[in-house]
This record gives sequence, structure tokens and C-alpha cells, in this order.
Amino acid sequence: MAERSPTAAPDGPFQHRDSTQGANAGAAREASSINLKGIRKEYPGGVVALESVDLDIRAGEFFTLLGPSGCGKTTLLRMLAGLDEPSAGTLSIGGVDVTDTPPHKRSVNTVFQSYALFPHLSVRDNIAFGLKMRGMARSEREQKVVEIAEFIKLGSLVDRRVDQLSGGQRQRIALARALICEPDVLLLDEPLSALDAGLRSQLQVELLRTQKRLGMTFVFVTHDQEEAMVMSDRIAVLSDGIIQQIGTPQEVYERPANLFVARFMGHDNLFSISAREGMTVQTPIGALETEDHNEGKVALIRPETLELTSPGAPSVEPGKQLNTLMCRVVERFYRGSNVEYRLSHQSGEQHSELIAEISNTGERLFRVGDEVKVEIYPEDVIMLSDDEEGA
Amino acid sequence: MQNRGFKKGLAVFWWLTLIFLYAPLLVVMVFSFNAINTSARWGGFSLRWYERLLNNDVVISAIGHTLLLAVISSIIAVILGAMIGYGLYRHRARRLGLLIVLIYLPIVMPDIVFGIADMAFFVQINRLTGLLSPGLSTMVIAHVTFQIPFVALIVYSRFVGLDATLFDAAKDLYASPWQRMLHFILPTLKPALLSAFFLSFTLSVDDFVISFFTAGPESATLPIYIWGAIRRGISPEINAIATLMIASVALVAVVSLLFNRRRA
Repeated sequence: MAERSPTAAPDGPFQHRDSTQGANAGAAREASSINLKGIRKEYPGGVVALESVDLDIRAGEFFTLLGPSGCGKTTLLRMLAGLDEPSAGTLSIGGVDVTDTPPHKRSVNTVFQSYALFPHLSVRDNIAFGLKMRGMARSEREQKVVEIAEFIKLGSLVDRRVDQLSGGQRQRIALARALICEPDVLLLDEPLSALDAGLRSQLQVELLRTQKRLGMTFVFVTHDQEEAMVMSDRIAVLSDGIIQQIGTPQEVYERPANLFVARFMGHDNLFSISAREGMTVQTPIGALETEDHNEGKVALIRPETLELTSPGAPSVEPGKQLNTLMCRVVERFYRGSNVEYRLSHQSGEQHSELIAEISNTGERLFRVGDEVKVEIYPEDVIMLSDDEEGA
Repeated sequence: MQNRGFKKGLAVFWWLTLIFLYAPLLVVMVFSFNAINTSARWGGFSLRWYERLLNNDVVISAIGHTLLLAVISSIIAVILGAMIGYGLYRHRARRLGLLIVLIYLPIVMPDIVFGIADMAFFVQINRLTGLLSPGLSTMVIAHVTFQIPFVALIVYSRFVGLDATLFDAAKDLYASPWQRMLHFILPTLKPALLSAFFLSFTLSVDDFVISFFTAGPESATLPIYIWGAIRRGISPEINAIATLMIASVALVAVVSLLFNRRRA
């Protein structure tokens, strides 16, 4: 291939169109923020998919919309793409109001769940489709395809036919087809959900590295809370068209805003609160001390925060006032890096079940039938509001 | 068990069906090469009936009319039918019950009803405006009306078999409405449009009833010529025409089959 002249060099694959500086691929991108105000979507017939959503996505952020199917996350993503119109509210990308801009005029590209590769085109023409529609000359398009193929390490895939590709390969072609257009924002609609577990975690890492390298704003949709936590800078948890919580993965996981979020993040050990006096709450497993000043209807104690010792052993932190209860081991699930115990607790007539996840440090494991002492730090007793519906 | 006997029986049945379907055609084809002027006995091989056909101006012009009518009507039917098929697809979420029935109706309606209705309609138009006197134009319109439903259904089923997200992907990748038509919808539909064209073509060549009621004195097609000629008795010349028609229809069918296979 002919040596590229210095003047051609700035045409790197990921240089922002508006940027005038000829920096290396990936370095010079100016990411765009997204602002949604009062976005509402109501379908004819009265079905409300989104209920007045306010959301600010920061420039360069890996932002995830997380929720069960039918929560409105895909509708929200389609609105960002321009494929669905909001019934009310405004949407701006990079500070520009695009509420009424049709999809083909938005600098936004999508990786679809089904990948949506055109069956009548070769892989190469699929990747170059967006550039062709924008009127880029053939020679320039081909150069760009070569660059993106190198960037995403597509190798010889570009010379195959679409029907010769596996799921994982299609996913990467779909990503290349979107990224080659150098959009202000990349949207990803459950792009990994059709893949098997091993490939999925490999592509998660690849996708994350690509995003960090480009510094591009990614909006990702998934129903898988683990995937959301691994990938995201921030997560918005949606249910019934309402944003339940926005926060970093750590915030959402450790301090769920309400019972819905806690359940959706996979938390067990939820105990309804019958009364509260100061920092003491009454629950089915007895009175618990908490450090959470929020009012709540439900107490959450994450399984990995429980401390298990033998009945006669000294407290794990003698200087501190811990919640202590006696339980019996009902079931044990050995998972290698950790061990899950199902415990039963008897408080008068009240019978409850607790789950403890103990990291496997090589110490002696408890057996089914053993009596154990459970200690819970007051700061690990978290108050949840019960403002969810259904679920 | 009886399985083998059953399979043998099926095979026999299969061959009997084929013979039942194709033996008459075979007879016509064989006797078109008969040297003597009868279909009752074989008098040696000859191409004289084909020679006579080629020298018969009425037959040549009938072949010309048939092909012209088939090509023009198929092109128009493919364009209009594709638009209907696309419309049906785009609005498939709505209740299309009555519309679908209206599209299907010409397929199940007896040709003779359509033929008579077309004739009556054209006569009225002609009486009122002087336009559409019986001839090629009325035949084209009549043929297009019975070809359209087939085209619409072929195009519609092609769209239904397509991942609907592709339409979104085209929009998302900066294609304007015209670009979507040119770079996505038409290329995706190409195999379906070709099959639809070939089917329309065969239907048109095949048609006698509707052509008969809408033809003018100067626009007789091959089937109409045959019908006229046959009243004077079945001559080997008719066998020769029939053989040519069988060959050309078979050719079109094979070509469209190959197109379909390449798509699959």
C-alpha cells in the first residue's frame, strides 16, 4: 500500500469531524453530553412507556440503562437514536436540541440487539454503509474500513459474507459499522445478550476498552445487572417507565434507593420493619441496630456483610456493638471463591431465612445442622423505601 | 413391517401422478413432429408444422402480442404490486382484515367473472369518453389487475421474512428516505421482484379467458388464436404452437427457480 502523505494522516478513523487538530486516532475526540428533560412516551391506546424522564449523561461516560423487559429502557434508547419520537419533553445531544431531528440527520449510531447487518451487502459494504450515505468517496471509504478493521482487529472478517459470520463476529461488525461513522454518541441495545457466557465476558472487556480508548459517550442498554456493574461509569435503573435510581455501580449496588432496585440488583435478606425507635428497628429476625437515618419500610442486609462464627467464639470486633443472632445452617452451597449458607432463624413463633455469603479463606466450613452465631454491623442494616409497584 | 410396502406404494403413486400430469403434454409434443395431418397415428418425423407456423403471419403476430402484453403488464404489475406489498407491510400492525381480503379476492375470483366485468367496464368507459376501445391497452389493464395480487403477496412475504430492525439500521446509518429506497429496500427486494415478474409473465401468457373478453380485433394473443383455430379441428400446427408455449413457460419457470435458489 502506498505511503500516506502527512496531509492525509489526520483522517484517522476516530478523529472527530469538527476537530481541526490532526492528532492520533482516538486522542482528539470531543465527547458529547446528553440531556433529557421531561421525556414522556405514550403510545396510542394509553400505554405509557416513559413517565417524564429527566436524565443527564456526561460527555465520555459509559452510561447504562438497566431494567427488566418492558421498563422503557429500549424506548429511551430509540429516542436518542431518533427512531421513536417523545410525546413530550426535550432531548439535546452535545448541547444541541435534537428533539425533532430525524434519525438520519443525528450524529448518533446504534449497535442493535439483532445486529441488523444488511443481508444484501458484503461485510465490507455493511461497514461502509453509513459513510456511503453521507456521500464519502469510495477510495476514502475503503481507507476508513481498513483503519477500523485494524482498530477492532477484524482481520479477514471483512472479506466474508454476512451469512458466514458467527454471532460474536456479527456483533463486532455491527460495532465497526457504527464506530466508523465517528458519532457523537454510540448507542448499544443489549449487544451481548445473544452470545454465550464466555464470549460475552470477553466482548464486555473489549467493548469497555474500546470506549475508554475513544473517550466516546456510550449509552448501553441491558437487563443484566452484573453486566451493567462491570461496564458502567454510571447506571440508571428503570422500572415502569420511571427512573428508580441513578448512580455509580457501587452506589446502586450498595445503597439501592428502594426495594425494586434492591431486588433487581439481586439482593436477598430483605426484612419488613414493623416499628422503629431511634436507631433500633423491629424486624422478623428481632430488633436490629442501624446507622441509616432514612425512614424505611424494609431492612436490607446484603449476604456478603454477614459475619459467621461458632456460638462460643468471641465477637469479630469486640469493641463494637454488633447485632447478634443465633441461626442454624439449613443448606450450604460451595462456590469455590465463596460459600453460600442458607440459615434459619427462630424468634419466638417467627421463623425467618437468612442468606450469608462468606468468602472462602480456607477456614473450616460450617456443616448443615450446625448452630452458628451471626453478627451484623449496624452500618450494614440499610433502610429501603417500599415505593415500588408490583414486582 | 409394512413400512417397505408402504414406501413402494408411495413411489408408484408418485409416478402415476407425474404421468397423469405430463402424459397429455407429451402426446401434444410428440405429435407436433408428426409428418401426417392427424393426431391419430404416427407417420414419421417432420418439422413441416413448425415451418408452416413460421410462415403464418397471423400466428407470428399473435406471438408478438402475447409477449408484448406479458412484458408490459408484468412490468406495470410489479411496480404497482410492490407498492401495495410495501404498504401492507408498513401498516401490518393495523387491522388489515378487509384490505387483505380485497387483495386476495382477484386470486380466487373465477376468471370469467373478471373477464366479463372488465369488458363491461371498458365498454362503458369507451361509450362515455371514446377511450379504451378494445385492444392491447384494455388487455394490459385487465392483465395487470389479476397480476397485482400475486406481486403484492410475494413482496409482502419477503418483507415479513426480513428483520424489521434493518429499516431502523438504515435510518440510523444516515440514509435519507430516497437513499433507503435505493440502497436498502430495492436491493433487498430484488429477488422477490424478479420472481414476481416471472410469475406475472407466466400468468399473462397462460391467460385465455380474460384476454378473450378484453381483446380487440387486432390484438389476438396466442391462446385466442388457438381457440379460434381449434374450432376447425385439432391440427398438428396447433400441437406445434402448444409445444412452443410449453417450452417457453418451462424455460421461464426454470429461470425463476434458479433465481430463488441463488437467493436461498
